[in-house]
Parts: sequence; structure tokens; C-alpha cells
Amino acid sequence: MKGKKVTAILCAGMMAAGMLAGCGGASGSDAKASSGDAVAGGSVLTGSQASGDKYDHQAIENTKENITITMMVSGVAQGTDFETQSLPDLVHKKWPNVTLEVTKLPDDNYYTSLKTKLASGECPDIILTQPMYAGSNSCYALAEAGYLASLNDLDYLSNMPDLSAVTYDGNVVTATTGVSILGTYYNKDLFSKAGITEEPKTWDEFLADCKKLKDAGIQPIVMGDKDQYVMQFGLYQIAANEIYSKNPKYDDELRTGDTSFTDKDTWDKVLTMYKQLYDEGYIDASQSLGYGASQAIQDFIDGKAAMTFDGSFNAAALTATGEGGDFERGYFPIPSESGEQYTATCLAAGYSIYAKSKYVDQCKEIFDYWMNGDNEIWDAQLATGRVIPLYGKGADSIPNYDLFKPFIDLTNEGKGFHWCNQAWPAGTETTMEEMFSEMIGGQGTTVDDITKGMQDKFEDLLDD
Amino acid sequence: MKARRKKRSGANTSLTFNNKMFAFMIPALAMFLIFWIYPLLQLFYYSVTNFNGINYNYEFVGMKNFVKIFDNGTILNSIGITLIYAAVTVVLSNILGLALAIVLNTKIRFKGFFRTASYFPALFSAIVVGFIWSYVYMPSSGMIASLINLFGGNGASFNPLGNFHTALFAIALVEVWKGFGTTMIIYLAGLQTVDESVLEAGRIDGCNEWQLTRLVKLPMISSTITINVVLSVINGLKAFDYSFIMTNGGPGKSTKTLMFQIYEIAFTDQKMGRASAFSVVSFAVIIAITIVMLIFMNKREVEV
Repeated sequence: MKGKKVTAILCAGMMAAGMLAGCGGASGSDAKASSGDAVAGGSVLTGSQASGDKYDHQAIENTKENITITMMVSGVAQGTDFETQSLPDLVHKKWPNVTLEVTKLPDDNYYTSLKTKLASGECPDIILTQPMYAGSNSCYALAEAGYLASLNDLDYLSNMPDLSAVTYDGNVVTATTGVSILGTYYNKDLFSKAGITEEPKTWDEFLADCKKLKDAGIQPIVMGDKDQYVMQFGLYQIAANEIYSKNPKYDDELRTGDTSFTDKDTWDKVLTMYKQLYDEGYIDASQSLGYGASQAIQDFIDGKAAMTFDGSFNAAALTATGEGGDFERGYFPIPSESGEQYTATCLAAGYSIYAKSKYVDQCKEIFDYWMNGDNEIWDAQLATGRVIPLYGKGADSIPNYDLFKPFIDLTNEGKGFHWCNQAWPAGTETTMEEMFSEMIGGQGTTVDDITKGMQDKFEDLLDD
Repeated sequence: MKARRKKRSGANTSLTFNNKMFAFMIPALAMFLIFWIYPLLQLFYYSVTNFNGINYNYEFVGMKNFVKIFDNGTILNSIGITLIYAAVTVVLSNILGLALAIVLNTKIRFKGFFRTASYFPALFSAIVVGFIWSYVYMPSSGMIASLINLFGGNGASFNPLGNFHTALFAIALVEVWKGFGTTMIIYLAGLQTVDESVLEAGRIDGCNEWQLTRLVKLPMISSTITINVVLSVINGLKAFDYSFIMTNGGPGKSTKTLMFQIYEIAFTDQKMGRASAFSVVSFAVIIAITIVMLIFMNKREVEV
């Protein structure tokens, strides 16, 4: 009997151990990677080493033999996929001696795979990276570790208005051609029903319009706050208006300690303005906290609410026909208090070249051809409908261009600002969302608690 | 002495399990060591580093990670949430599973159908179940809200996932809904081992059905109860799926279980070191709870 008990306890121990192996699993692969790093770690090239002279614009032609360039991106292949099908075909068509091998992985697998490959020194030649500090494949973090080649000598760069979000230590490290937009989708039918004839130009007008809608018995704004990330859609627009327009270096200064989330008239103002929408019942917190993002989109296309804050990446879903019929949609940036227009429009994810790749110049030659704005690869990429390019042929014929045009113009005028979370260490925004939920959910959290919470989390995340 | 040695060598040359047979354990053992034990040990190693999952130039930071997780209260918050979640799922799924098993072990019509029906939810993956239930719980137009509307109530105010006080219980109920079938099957198997002659003896002695259940059947399936309770405690303590799928840990922090919190620290905050420290502490907590439970339950077991 005693032996049986001991065995039982041991088994239980094993079970508990097994449970944690789920968490240990991740470190398991890291463990392997870390030993590989000893090989790769010492001699990692920094981006700047590759800069300086112009790259060899005939690199591929000068390479006599057949070469295979590898590329890894995240996402899920759809239909005739651009990255895994059209791109390799068109590259091969242009340069018959080049085979582009593309792997497309779901986001999480991509992150894990990328980390392992980087650490073992077997990274693909081209990888997908995100601006600033966004995500596990953020170009700043990867550039800091010396994994990305400098792209300063690419010719296409002259087409882009501002590449600071993909520039690390003076080197452009991600080649991107497009943007992603955060804005306010609205239902023009419901607006006119409530007697609103034009888009609001100031924050006060915006509030007045919300009131008109509410008085007309229409839910002004629907949000799926159960998926807390959607709070960013509204907050970042207001932050672009009230913080970055006044101090574009605000986020950089957060890192140096010159600014703080608790500074007066910065985040306290943004959060208070956004909270106003909940206080007045323009967004119904009692409902939104139990609503998922897709459910909110459904309500919008069903004509149950007049507006929703969302991104260009959800345009297809938001312009679909629901129970609300085929009503006309509009898209505007949340107006600022002053009436000056700004937008939370950031650079889209792009492609980077692995610093230790054998084919850095060849990859650059491909990039410059692809991104010159007038060729077959460019057309194929635009045809996916998933990019909003800032230049080039056909840029004005992308789906929903009418919706996006004001944002693109503002960005080209230098009035587009990055999304806050791209500049923060990942996790700061989670604290913001959590605490904002608590505030609108009546848990007694105040705006000052939130800014303090964000600052604490920010410092904690930066502190190694 | 001589006789003993002879006996031992006799055992080694056993036809059914001689020494050579141990060699066949090596592949399985190697897999186990490489994929389970080694990563687990790595966990302890990373828990004292500031590894972020990307940059391998990490440093040793001593006990800093442990101090941090206790300092800001995240671990106590998630231990509390996890314990409530586990308690709700353990109690409900066992009571429901046992009650159903007792009923379905009697001679009633459509027994097979009812058994199948109650096991049915267990066949779906947690993702599917979570997704379906988030529509069941959806305010105004979800299934329950629509029913409330149908009976003249106000379905718009029904919002279990959006409420700080009910979200945790709402997802725990989903776990129970998916899990009670499995619990029931194990109880059913246990009940079928109870010898009919013992029950008959009880009846002759004048027991009624309730007494038979309480005084004969339950004590005789006490080892089944132990298994079920321990399994559901472990299942409850590693709660992750529904927080992840249905609430994303929200509203606020109200459904951030231990495993969810570890996931978030590791993959959102990208603090692998701290997440490892969190795992180590969770490991200790879970193992302690499991051992205490086992000792407690084993004491109550009846030797058959």
C-alpha cells in the first residue's frame, strides 16, 4: 500500500512536470538555439558594415551559376499566393538563373522558426520584418542584434516620404512600400438619417455628431473590447493628434527618460478624451466588453451602429454586405481638438535581408526591381489587395482607394505617425488596454492609474 | 549466499524479461529525457537569466525575476484566479459526472443515447468549443441573450464575458460543459466494477438506493474518485484555452490564469527569463497542491 502511494505521488509529480513541459517546450528549442549561437554570435555583421558604397546593380547577372535565394514570411497562403507563387515565378522569369524559395508560416510558427534560424546562423536570405519594435520580428530588435543588412543604397527609397520607422542607427533595414491605416469607418446612411451632412473636423464636432446619432436612437460607435487590442484603434488616432503632432520624438524621449507617460497633457489627455466616448454612452461599455472584434464588425455592416474604429487591414470585412445592405461607407481620422488633421498611419511590414546572407547584393537587385513601382512583380503584389502603396503604377486603383486617399495624402504630407505600440516594448499596450478595461468596467481605475501603470510597465520592460 | 546469487542470476536470464530487455527502454527513455526532462531543466536555467527569446547575449540576473513576479503581484493575482477556476471546474464536473454516471448506470431507456450525448462535447477541440460558446454568451444577439429576449427579458444586459465578476465563472462553465463527459465515463467504468453481489447483500440487509450509493458504491469507487479529482485539479490548474480564446485574459486581468500569464510574459512581453521564473513557481505550487490532494484522497480510499 505504501509503495502504491509513493508511486501515485511520483506519478502526480510527473504529471505536473508534464504540464509545465508545455512551457518548457519553448525554452527547449531555445536551448538548442543558444548552443548554435556560439557559432553565429561572435561574428554577426552589423547593418552598417554593408553600407557605404553602392551595391552591385548587376550582381545577379555577374553571378554565372544558378543560385537559390531563400525567403521566409508569415501569413496564410490564399488563392494564387503572391509570396509563395507569383513572386518566385516572376523572379525566375526575369532572372532565369535565380530560384526564389519561399516559406510561408503562420505568425507564431514564423516567430519561433525565425528565432531558431537566426540563432543557428541559418537564417533565410530574405525575411519579413515589422517597423520599429513591433512583434518578435521587429526590425529594431533584429538590427540591434546585428542580423539585418543595411539597405541604404537601394534606389527605390527615394519614393518613400519617411522611413524613420524602419531605420535603425542610420541604416534603413526594412524595405517597405506601403502603409497601414487606423481610422474611423462610418455608415453614411445612418449619418444622414441623424442629420449629419459632413465629416467632423474637430473633436467637439465629432462629439456633437455622436450625440446627434444617439439622440436619433442610433448606437454611435461599436467596438469589440472583449478583444482588448481594438482599444488601440481609437487611442492611437487620438495620440497622433494630441501627442505626436506636438512632439514627434515623444516615444524616443520615453526611452531616454525625457518624457514620461505621466506627463501632463499627453496620455492623460488621450485617455480622458477616449473615456469620454464611454462616459457619454457613445460606446456602450457594458456591451462592448463582451463583444469580440469580429462581432463588432458584424454589427457595423449590419447597420446596427454608425461608426467603428478599425484599420485598413480590416477594410474587406468592413465593406462587406451585411443585414444593413449595401450602404455607403466613409473613413476619416478622428479629428483633433485643434482641427488640424493628422493620422495614425504607419509603414507596413516589409522585407529585410539577412546580414550574413551570401547574396546580399542579389537580394538588393531583386528589391530594387520589385519596388520600382512599375513592373510585373509590383502589379502582382498590388493585385492581392492587401497593400496600400504610397507611390507607383496602379497605386490609385487598389480596392477601397477612395476610403484610404485622405490618409495617404496626409502621410505624404508628413502628417502620418507610427502606431504607438510599434515604438514601445511589446507589452506596454497590454497594460494600457487592461487598465482601460478596468476603468470603463467600473473597477475604480483612474486615468492617472493608467498612465502610471503604463510608465511602470514601460520601465520594467526596458529594464533587463 | 551461494543460493542467493544463483537465484539472482536466474532472474537475469528470465525468459520473459531478461537484462537485454532493458535495452529496449533506451529509445523511449532518450525521447523522454531529451524532450521532457532536459527542457524542464532548461527552464530552471533560464529563470535566472534576462533572456528575451531573440537576443542570445543574455546575462545572469540572479533572483531578480523571482523578486519581480512577486513584487508587482501578478503571480498572486493569477494563482488566485487559477485556484477559483480549478475549484469551480473540479466540483462541478465531478458532481455532474458522478450524478450522471449513477443515473446512466441504471436500467433506463435510451441509455446508450444519453451516454453518447453527454460525452459528445468532449470530442470537440477547445478552440471550437470556445469559439462556439463566445457566440452563446454574446450580448443582445447571442444564443442565451436571444432566449432571454424570447421570454420577454432584456438580452442586451446579459453579458457574462464582459463583466469583471462573472467572466471567470463563465469560462469555467464552458470547461465543465466540455469536460463532464470524460469524468462521467471514468465514473461509469468505476461503477461497473462494483460487484452486483455486494449490492444484493446490501439490499438484503435493508439498504435503500440512497444508502446503497452512499455507503456501498461510493466507497467502492473511491480510487476512481481520486483519479477523477486529481485529473480535473491538474486540468483546472493548467487552464489556458478558454482564457485565450474567449476572453484574452480580460476584462482587465480577471481571467489571466497562471498559464495565460506565463504565455503573455513569454510571448507578448518577450521576457523568457521572467516567464521561466513564473513557470518554476507555478511548478512548485501545482506540485504542492497535487501532492497534498493525493495524500488526502489516498487516506480516504478503501482497499478492496
